[in-house]
Amino acid sequence: MTDNSEDLRRWRLPRGRHGLPRETVTRSQRERLLAAVVRVTATKGYESTTVGNILEEAGVGRETFYELFDDKRTCMLAAHAILVDDLEAKARTAYTEPGPWVDRVRNGLTAVLEWFSEDATVSRFTLIELTAVGSAARTRFQADFGRFVTLMDEGLDGDAARPDLAQATSLAVGATLARVYGKVVLDRSAELPCLLPELVYEVLVPFLGEEVARSEQGRSARAE
Amino acid sequence: MVMRFSCRNETIEMMQKQSSSETQPSVLDPTTRRDIGVISQRRRIIEAMVSSCAEKSYSATTISDIVSRASISRTTFYKRFSGKRDCFDAAIDACIDEVREVAGATSIGWDSAPEAVRKTTAALLELMAAKPDLAQLLTGDAIWVDPSTADRYRRLLMPALEGLLDVGGEEKRWHANPSLAFGRAQLLIFNEVAAGRSGQLRALHPEIVYLFLVPFVGHDEAIKQSRLAQRCPQPDVAPDSDR
Repeated sequence: MTDNSEDLRRWRLPRGRHGLPRETVTRSQRERLLAAVVRVTATKGYESTTVGNILEEAGVGRETFYELFDDKRTCMLAAHAILVDDLEAKARTAYTEPGPWVDRVRNGLTAVLEWFSEDATVSRFTLIELTAVGSAARTRFQADFGRFVTLMDEGLDGDAARPDLAQATSLAVGATLARVYGKVVLDRSAELPCLLPELVYEVLVPFLGEEVARSEQGRSARAE
Repeated sequence: MVMRFSCRNETIEMMQKQSSSETQPSVLDPTTRRDIGVISQRRRIIEAMVSSCAEKSYSATTISDIVSRASISRTTFYKRFSGKRDCFDAAIDACIDEVREVAGATSIGWDSAPEAVRKTTAALLELMAAKPDLAQLLTGDAIWVDPSTADRYRRLLMPALEGLLDVGGEEKRWHANPSLAFGRAQLLIFNEVAAGRSGQLRALHPEIVYLFLVPFVGHDEAIKQSRLAQRCPQPDVAPDSDR
């Protein structure tokens, strides 16, 4: 992945960067602003966050901000895009490694649950605060939902029994998102990995039927 | 005139706010012309809120948007509602009442519980396809603004669902947590509406039937019912011909 998709939560204020080419300084300022918008909006809420709050958190000047972003909203959407890219990359890596389909599904789900359990602020920002930006959030949500449906579809193969439902992959993405959202909204994202066995069942059952899904649920529980 | 009778109007408002279901009798059976005026004004404001939320979302909606959409004065708005959130909550109540009405009308008089679930979910999808603004509000802003709204859906629809599926002395076996079905259905519908496909919501029917039945009856029966839910426009194709 390019450094632009670098995980936001690892971004830190750069130290002693004087003398670096201007381009590098600008990029680090951009990264600082993106990291700041995640922290600030997740704690203060999008609506009560001002550009000033973001600048303060990032230690970046107002002029620089407006060179890089049109407003608070575009800054927020840029940060969100990077986070979802990162989530998708992690899920893709886990899901596309060679192996039986059910194992790849379990690995993909594990990666998603872990991603959301790692940092409550990032999870809250990604799922909850996004919705405050207005109608652009809907377009974004729909596109992101579609990305994960496509990812899952691409990885379907012969041993994934043909599901009886036309939109079984949408059901799977919806099942995962409903589980994740339910925890994140209650600020209990740390508990997400415990949901793996149930989620494995919910995702697999439309594809493989009751018996197989139940036994895979049991295997996931034992593996924990 | 409204000013003069504001005391009475406030009483009506309070009654309406106490419970959204209690608004129905007063809408259907207004006692005076003034009541009709108040109620229709209230309704107009609520409709303005619903359409503004659908167009630009709750967070971007302002009182000015609502006031101009409803063609009322700001003063009138504040006579009916204490603020944006109060008005929004009333809009959610009104939309939930519509859902309740449709669900109530279709969930009676069927031979089997799964059939009732099929008919009810079909009617709800039809309602949402016909009223994309309502669909947008109930599956989007309603949840984003107040996540506990999902619990209201559950409280509203779950007893009916449980009651239905208990019919016939069948032993209650839950294959999964049934309350998850609401969140999952909400996401699927929201996704379709956000993609501008609200007119084709009916195509989701097999998935929605499956979602609501699988926790109660298990995969095999839920799939069977979802196949029955697939629309077969050609009369020569029997609904269950693939079984």
